[in-house]
Amino acid sequence: MGNKLAKFKEAAFGFGFLMPSLLGFGIFLFYPFFKSVYLSLHSTNPRGQIVDFVWFDNFKDILGSEHFYQSIKISFLFALMTIPTCLIISLCLALLTHKKNKINIYFQLIFASSIAIPIGNASVIWKILFHPTAGMFNYFLSFLGIDPIGWLTDPAYALISVSIMTVWISIGFTYLVLLSGIKGIPEDLYESAKMDGAGSSAMVRKITLPLLSPAIFFMSVISVIGALQSFSQINILTEGGPANSTNVVVYDLYQEAFVNYRFGTGSAQAIILFLIILLFTIVQFRIAERKVHYS
Amino acid sequence: MKNLKWKTTVPVLLVASAIALQGCGNSASNSNSTNNQPTKESSSSSSAAPITINWWHAMSGANGKVIDQVVKDFNASQSNIVVKVTFQGAYDELLNKVKATMGSKSGPSMVQVNDVNTRFMIDSKMITPVQTLIDRDKFDISQLEEHILNYYTVDNQLYSMPFNTSNDVFYYNKDLFKAAGLDPENPPATFEEVTKDAQALTKNGVTGYAFYLEPWDMEQSFAKQGELYVNNDNGRSSEPATESFMNTKPGVDTLTWWKNMLDNKLALNFGRVSADAQKSFIAGKTAMLTGSTGALRGLVDAAKGKFEVGTGFFPIPEGSAKDGGVAIGGASNWIMNNKSQEEQDAAWEFIKYLSSPKVQAFWHISTGYFPITKDAYNEQIVKDNLVKYPQFNAAIEQLHQAKSNYASQGASVGVFQEMRNFYASAVEEAMNGKSPQEALDKAAKSSTEAIQKYNETNK
Repeated sequence: MGNKLAKFKEAAFGFGFLMPSLLGFGIFLFYPFFKSVYLSLHSTNPRGQIVDFVWFDNFKDILGSEHFYQSIKISFLFALMTIPTCLIISLCLALLTHKKNKINIYFQLIFASSIAIPIGNASVIWKILFHPTAGMFNYFLSFLGIDPIGWLTDPAYALISVSIMTVWISIGFTYLVLLSGIKGIPEDLYESAKMDGAGSSAMVRKITLPLLSPAIFFMSVISVIGALQSFSQINILTEGGPANSTNVVVYDLYQEAFVNYRFGTGSAQAIILFLIILLFTIVQFRIAERKVHYS
Repeated sequence: MKNLKWKTTVPVLLVASAIALQGCGNSASNSNSTNNQPTKESSSSSSAAPITINWWHAMSGANGKVIDQVVKDFNASQSNIVVKVTFQGAYDELLNKVKATMGSKSGPSMVQVNDVNTRFMIDSKMITPVQTLIDRDKFDISQLEEHILNYYTVDNQLYSMPFNTSNDVFYYNKDLFKAAGLDPENPPATFEEVTKDAQALTKNGVTGYAFYLEPWDMEQSFAKQGELYVNNDNGRSSEPATESFMNTKPGVDTLTWWKNMLDNKLALNFGRVSADAQKSFIAGKTAMLTGSTGALRGLVDAAKGKFEVGTGFFPIPEGSAKDGGVAIGGASNWIMNNKSQEEQDAAWEFIKYLSSPKVQAFWHISTGYFPITKDAYNEQIVKDNLVKYPQFNAAIEQLHQAKSNYASQGASVGVFQEMRNFYASAVEEAMNGKSPQEALDKAAKSSTEAIQKYNETNK
């Protein structure tokens, strides 16, 4: 009896320490999540109030509409355009600047600096850069004798433009993670490889990349989640337009919920997106983990 | 230890802010009153402390300053009511904020809502129709502009008091017309004439017509051709609208005309930014465009010393001689019913002040919106203004010539903003290769679905 009480006390004590974070998670993650599930099964009136319990009608509506698949397609296109580009650029920059010397410190600072810029501010700056008549990009193009490009107003370019901006802002964090990954590789591995007569490209391929694979894997999982959840830059740069060419799922569901005031279908879209991201993360773990080298 | 402190303070702060945020949630249960709330005779005791009412509006920039001036004058003119005025962003932003406050007490007593959201406001049942107050006080509205009243009258009730009203007119550069050998006193009246004039005007770095994506233009085109934009008498008779007519002949004709002008390089495309189109017009790079009367003063003033601005009626396709006329645009003021009777009465007093000829005359000459009362035209400042800006005459004539019918009253649907988004996407698709019919078919289908969903859930 006394033993049980002691155990209970210990458990209660432990939960006491967990309580603050549980509370935080509860309010900002679990409660909204369950509320979304609840809303996704209801229809709301034009003022956003719940009217009826409709079972899975909202999901049926969404999965039956061409519009939704279109926005899914754009979300994946966006992920495809941003993640590999960002990873490759960051990796190259990290490989070039990881050695300790006086100049590299400045390069490291510069390459990591975009991490410090809020995405809202960055979007506003890029919107000015992309402006059709007053923007820098078209100004530079005019020197080359190239006609101005409708960066954000031409459906053929809008998604590319948003991707360029997204790659730029994500490089900071990706670079930092990969750089610290490279720095964590023991120096003696390189020394013994050098003694065996390995060139620098062989060392990158046989030592750096395999030992960096956990960091690359981590970044790719995070990036997929991040890319599929992108919202701020699209809201500021294009508002989903022109002709829906940048209407990613998150922006679409925001419109549905907070502009059209249909919280039911908006929430249902959010749940579907959640399931897609979950599926992707599981698949990534299954496939990639076999190839990732944990030392 | 340091870590522990951090871990406890953050959640505590989070909880505190969550509790604070709870006040913003919408609890539908306390929307206590209905549309036709019986109004008791107001007992205005002059000795009591002044009543404060909040007015939310969407007038930015120069027009916002005019609003501040009007409110200041009103507050100084009497001691019973204090009007507090807040700019809440553009029309749709403002409406979203109003939606978020519906069902709570945190909202305004009086709110400016744009024309196309009239149906939503009526359906919200969160407002007191001004008709009740007009009837109660036997307020004389016979001097108000008939066409403006018609727009805001639904089922024979005036739900809100019109405030700022404009219509869609045709602007052209008289000097460029002369240079191209066209009659500067005779603006084109049909699509075909505009195209023909554009052919003559497009040369030496000038493009005939400035196109920008403004859903209002398409709605005006329907009204001007005397055609309905949605079914059931534009949603204005006993039954609410259930279907969009966006993809019918008047719509396809209009979009095809714009597309052909752009394809033949007789027009420049300025996307969704009207200001860019106006800038090119002022710079003399384009010679014609359509736009709100609200832009008139700005255009005429900016062109001063460079060229003379002419105005004409919004063009129609040749042969569409049906009775029509442009519907008005702009916004009206609504009284919210979740405030005390005293506050609603105070808002009504303020609305009466806003509708007076003197205030309307000042408002008209400072902003370019029409006066809502005909008496305002007798005010000297308005007469002087018409001498200074004779271009206004075309707009006033266009307003007075409009035949009053369901078509020229404009559509009344609860999801107008959404329809405009569908329409805008359709135009962008048509400009990028899709056929106008195909693009509008898709937008009409989406609009119809949105209307029906609105009707289903509107309870």
